[in-house]
Amino acid sequence: MLVTARLRPPDRIVEVADVRRVADLLGHLDVLPGAVLVIRDGTLLTSQDELRDGDQVEVRFAISGGA
Amino acid sequence: MAMRCKRCRGAVVIEVRRHNAAFCRDCFFHYVGQQVTRAIAKHRMLAPADRVLVAVSGGKDSLALWDLLLELGYRADGLYLSLGIGAYSERSKRVCKEFAAARGATLVARDLAGEHGYTIPEAASKGGRSSCGVCGLSKRYVFNRAALDGGYDVVATGHNLDDEAAVLFANTLRWDTAAMARQFPVLEATRPGLVKKVKPLYRLAERETAAYCILKGIDYMVEECPLVGGNTQMRHKETLNRMEEESPGTKHSFLFGYLERAAELLRVADVAELAECSRCGMTTQAPDDPAEAPVCAFCRSKARLVKTLPVVEVSAG
Repeated sequence: MLVTARLRPPDRIVEVADVRRVADLLGHLDVLPGAVLVIRDGTLLTSQDELRDGDQVEVRFAISGGA
Repeated sequence: MAMRCKRCRGAVVIEVRRHNAAFCRDCFFHYVGQQVTRAIAKHRMLAPADRVLVAVSGGKDSLALWDLLLELGYRADGLYLSLGIGAYSERSKRVCKEFAAARGATLVARDLAGEHGYTIPEAASKGGRSSCGVCGLSKRYVFNRAALDGGYDVVATGHNLDDEAAVLFANTLRWDTAAMARQFPVLEATRPGLVKKVKPLYRLAERETAAYCILKGIDYMVEECPLVGGNTQMRHKETLNRMEEESPGTKHSFLFGYLERAAELLRVADVAELAECSRCGMTTQAPDDPAEAPVCAFCRSKARLVKTLPVVEVSAG
């Protein structure tokens, strides 16, 4: 099972094997679930949602800096 | 067992752990609208007839705020300030223009270099304040000035719970009580020349404003400002997010505890005397020496910067 994750910002793409749920993917990427949104086909996924082989998801960081 | 929406028991699209809740798409919109309505009502931020100027950058928070205020029926125009950060500024301006055009809303555009003779990258290269410091100072000045020029009653900004918690965290680490005293969801126009400022998103986490934009189809600027990398606020947000992960509600308790129990004490203690800037007429802190002419931080910073840059034609204002 292979999932392709596009992380941004900054933009980069990683492939992750053997992750069943979104929580597993975020754990593998060492990303805090509370700092990102995971998007598949324009829809938001929760940490408990299951991933499928060949899934392409976006892991979008929701933290922004600035004054 | 699959999570269910707290309101309707439908399929969930987002968890809000600090409220021990999860929502479907429609109930999440209801939740977001309710948080903004509560913020506005609690602090009497806006009256129905107010002309509101929403400071927009093209990012998730400011566009979500503008969208929400329009949906709630407020007379809300957008204000975009071009900071001169190359292609990033061009893209963010385009995003704001497209947002306004799609809703038939009015966007007021101002230009820092055209009006004041410097860009943020130029300011950052000249030392003194950090790029975020001079950017914040410039925005605060231009937002207030633009609201006065346009006859607006209120300036609304997209500061969210994470922004406010991170600023409070930074101010607390330094015990900067003067800055803490000014940190509140609403700042009234206490003198002529000052426009009321409000932060209607302070009850919402930035993950929620981003989710609102995605679910609403708002095409916001996902890319981060190229000058912001590794800044102090980002580091503080990361620290707070790690604490939040272990103990959901930490940021909320920190900020709301301050607002409910400590902010008033600090405001009473903050007795800074105000005066009119001798150069631009805006309100500023009076100098310690009464013989000294008051000059606001923006005018001091601008004079320092413009002196070091090539001479350019600057319009009035």
